[in-house]
Amino acid sequence: MTDRRNGAEEASDRDIDAGPNRDDAGLDRDADGNRRRVRSLRDRLEGRLLTALAVLTSATLVAVFYYPVGTVLIEAVVVDGAATFAVFAELLRDPFYFGELARLFAGESPLAVAHAYLGPDRRLGIVGFTAYQAALSTVASVALGLPAAYLLARFEFPGRRTLRSLTIVPFVLPSIMVAVGFVATFGTNGTLNAALSALGLPSVDLMFTLQAIVIAHAFYNAPLVARVTTAAWESVDASAVETARSLGARPLRAFLDVVAPQVYPAVLTGAALTFVFTFGTFPIVLALGGFQLATIEVFVYRLVRDLSYAEAAALAIVELAISLGVLLAYLRYEARHTVRARGVRPLPRKPLLPSRPTLREVLPRVGLAAYAVVAAVLFLAPIGSMILASVTGGDGALTLEHYRFLVDRQQTGAAFQVRPWPAIRNSLLFASAATLMALPMGVVVAVLTTRRYRGRKLVDAAAMAPLAVSGIVVGLGLLRGLVFGVEIAGWRIAASGAVAIVVAHAVAGYPFVVRTVAPGLEGLDRSLVESARALGASRARVIRDVELPLVWPGVVAGAAFAFAISIGEFTATVVLATGADAYTMPVAIERFIGRRLGPATAMGVVLLVVTGLSFVVIERLGGETRGL
Amino acid sequence: MRPVDFERSVTDAVAEAAAADRAPPAVELDGVTKRYGDTAAVDDVSLRVREGEFFTLVGPSGCGKTTTLRLIAGFEEPTAGTVRFFGESVAGVPPEDRDVGVVFQNYALFPHMTVGENVGYGLNFADPPEGVTREERVAELLALVDLPDAADRDPESLSGGQQQRVAMARALAPGPDVLLLDEPMSALDAQLRERLRVQVRTIQSELSITTVYVTHDQEEALAISDRVAVMRDGAPEQIAPPRTVYREPATRFVAEFVGDNNVFAGRITDVEGADAADEGASDASDGSAASDGATRTAAVDVGGETLSVRIDGAADVAVGDRLTFCVRPEYLRIDEGESRLAATVASAEFLGETTRVTLDWGGRDLVVRTRDPLSDEVVVGFDPEDAHVIDDRTRVTDDDL
Repeated sequence: MTDRRNGAEEASDRDIDAGPNRDDAGLDRDADGNRRRVRSLRDRLEGRLLTALAVLTSATLVAVFYYPVGTVLIEAVVVDGAATFAVFAELLRDPFYFGELARLFAGESPLAVAHAYLGPDRRLGIVGFTAYQAALSTVASVALGLPAAYLLARFEFPGRRTLRSLTIVPFVLPSIMVAVGFVATFGTNGTLNAALSALGLPSVDLMFTLQAIVIAHAFYNAPLVARVTTAAWESVDASAVETARSLGARPLRAFLDVVAPQVYPAVLTGAALTFVFTFGTFPIVLALGGFQLATIEVFVYRLVRDLSYAEAAALAIVELAISLGVLLAYLRYEARHTVRARGVRPLPRKPLLPSRPTLREVLPRVGLAAYAVVAAVLFLAPIGSMILASVTGGDGALTLEHYRFLVDRQQTGAAFQVRPWPAIRNSLLFASAATLMALPMGVVVAVLTTRRYRGRKLVDAAAMAPLAVSGIVVGLGLLRGLVFGVEIAGWRIAASGAVAIVVAHAVAGYPFVVRTVAPGLEGLDRSLVESARALGASRARVIRDVELPLVWPGVVAGAAFAFAISIGEFTATVVLATGADAYTMPVAIERFIGRRLGPATAMGVVLLVVTGLSFVVIERLGGETRGL
Repeated sequence: MRPVDFERSVTDAVAEAAAADRAPPAVELDGVTKRYGDTAAVDDVSLRVREGEFFTLVGPSGCGKTTTLRLIAGFEEPTAGTVRFFGESVAGVPPEDRDVGVVFQNYALFPHMTVGENVGYGLNFADPPEGVTREERVAELLALVDLPDAADRDPESLSGGQQQRVAMARALAPGPDVLLLDEPMSALDAQLRERLRVQVRTIQSELSITTVYVTHDQEEALAISDRVAVMRDGAPEQIAPPRTVYREPATRFVAEFVGDNNVFAGRITDVEGADAADEGASDASDGSAASDGATRTAAVDVGGETLSVRIDGAADVAVGDRLTFCVRPEYLRIDEGESRLAATVASAEFLGETTRVTLDWGGRDLVVRTRDPLSDEVVVGFDPEDAHVIDDRTRVTDDDL
């Protein structure tokens, strides 16, 4: 103890010597000057590192996204080497695509068109139908999501936190698996009809109907709406509500005046994202709607399959324009309505059991109970039905024949047939590689978009564009640009289908890394960064030492997202997995579903298990490396 | 030439002035302006911080004091003007290369590191003094801030005052040239604040480290600093030692911002006694008067009452001029003094040692401090030398320049 004290005093003495003694000071500064020079050299390298990473990320994005997508889209306006709008003009005037709206583009009066829309046999066309089902899906998702948000934000009950984390699950579930689950639930021989006939009720056929699609979309997106709304609701400061109450507002009025305006932007966020996602939907419609209820994306796929590239490109551009329009409108709105909640005291949660038997206490809880039943059926039935169907034989008895089929296929299947093990192996391999690629890209973009500079919005939008671009187009672009190869200065550059799939998955997944990492970076106390810099850390070093460790949970979540997106990705994969050996589990499921449901559900269960296990592994890995 | 502070020993002052001439100032702002859009957060500021000096920027919120500190630290670059460290411009030098130590209001301890890792963080980029290991340096600094056993603790397990001291140790560990403190105590309660400011000052003088301190608390500024810059609207109104700022505020704003004050404005009706070198000159230890030049007394008409105010011999005033002056509450005495003001008691605040009484004098507020209870009607007064004339025509900047 005394020694230490002495040490401290000696140190202080040294400092005093170095400080005020001016003759020494000059010398000291020389030494300092040296240190500064050395430091700034290393610093320049580190500064360059950040720039280099940014350039690398941009280059990657251009190479694997903007360029391939560009080559596809350009076909819409360049035919036989000449620029033309003929393809577009034809598309716009075709009632098959634009319904009655096409007549407007063909030069008919808007009044006549409006009249046609009001008439009994209006035609929506592919584009109109896509927007229509997206709008219906959005309404359904918001309607199903809001009660969940109310429950999660305002009530306390055992398992609330778990339930809240579970709301992320539907979003990352492989869509083709969900489609299988829905077929197993709502199909002619599905659990719904089994339940109905057990009750002596007539069976219903929801397959290949708009309802099935909308319900499946709600399954996906209602939890998303619930998530963003809950977060906003929880960040409403209780004292704001209390202030309103003390000023004389009754509870409902206080809700409408104080809570609703803060929650409403989040609902809109959820709705906008839902619309964009469902507008570009593919696997669900393909599996549940078939070609008779085709959306734009499905039709782009069909046109690509028929090798009508120009028409496919033009249609994809129409889709992109609408998606981007909604996305940009939303981003503009978000920029104006971002509420920074810091250090707020959240509204107190109520117990699930009413404290008094008054109408005001009981009514919301009864409503929530009814909702809980609907939600349980909607969210659990597809997964449950899929598992049930995978162990149910054609005669209704329990059996393992579907799994046996998979094993047999693995052992005896022909080279051209889809075997389970390569699918599992490919899925895991592609997902791991795609995650490793998406993580650094996402982190770099998150760092770049949380800095303050001119044109940040533009960078943000450019980096987020993959969310809005059709997976079919990305897949097609990569197929022709990367897999078939490009000739650059006499060198032929080509990649295997597997590489192209990994790249496509990384591009699809990294926006989610950005979305999970950026808020953490944005919310970091600026003085933490500034303290580190004042202590001598360069900008790049601060990211490594301070920012990344503090947003690490977001990075892990981003990794989980990227992995899940990759393992469930279907759209681009189905285009790229043309070879016999590059198919993944979702592609395998789709190929099985075309023949028999049983093996598809068995494969779906395998996918479910593999995805679940991967999540556990990511969670573990992330937890262990957090301290680094 | 500003008056010399007589409280400091003459030899000190001479030696310091000589040294200041030889060595360039540790930190110098030369015509520094920082604009955000159309508003100038810092407006043409020039000041010099001497090596080893404890220099405080004080002012109300929005006066530009924190921005000034951030310009020194390198977190912001000036729109115009130059920041120099030891005579060399640091334009374009990033914060990590400026050899500054910064302590923020919220301490900004890295929550994912232990206290020891926090303190040692800067040693990743600067070597500890020769012959001292990194661990020893960390232990040294923690001992210096009186937290010798905290190295393995989690920053969030510490109290606010302890966190503040860790932040201080962290800033000092790499041996910075300049220590920058941005309201480091404003999040603490009053008692702790007083204790910590003594500690901060002790550490500062022990290390003789040039320190720039930002606070909105004028009392803290007076208590802790060698010199104070009182800022308003992005520029200093006065830069001087605490006593000078308190006793001879350069502007009306300074007079009213620093401590309690009674500010009077009126018209001069008479100036007398140009050669009457009387009580003021012999009262040099009082420190409130100029040391040279004859002094005069002006009769000033304030709201119909004629008050006598001593004015500087050199001051260029004439009958009919407007004159602003102030009298500190402690100089307003009950039933004493040459100029008398009859007032009524408006309100009183019991402060313990004294009672702060607000008086109503013909519709104007006067503040006095008293130990004795007052009747409703009181007469307060002051002598001419207790009044300090405020030259409101010019904006005074650094008395060094």
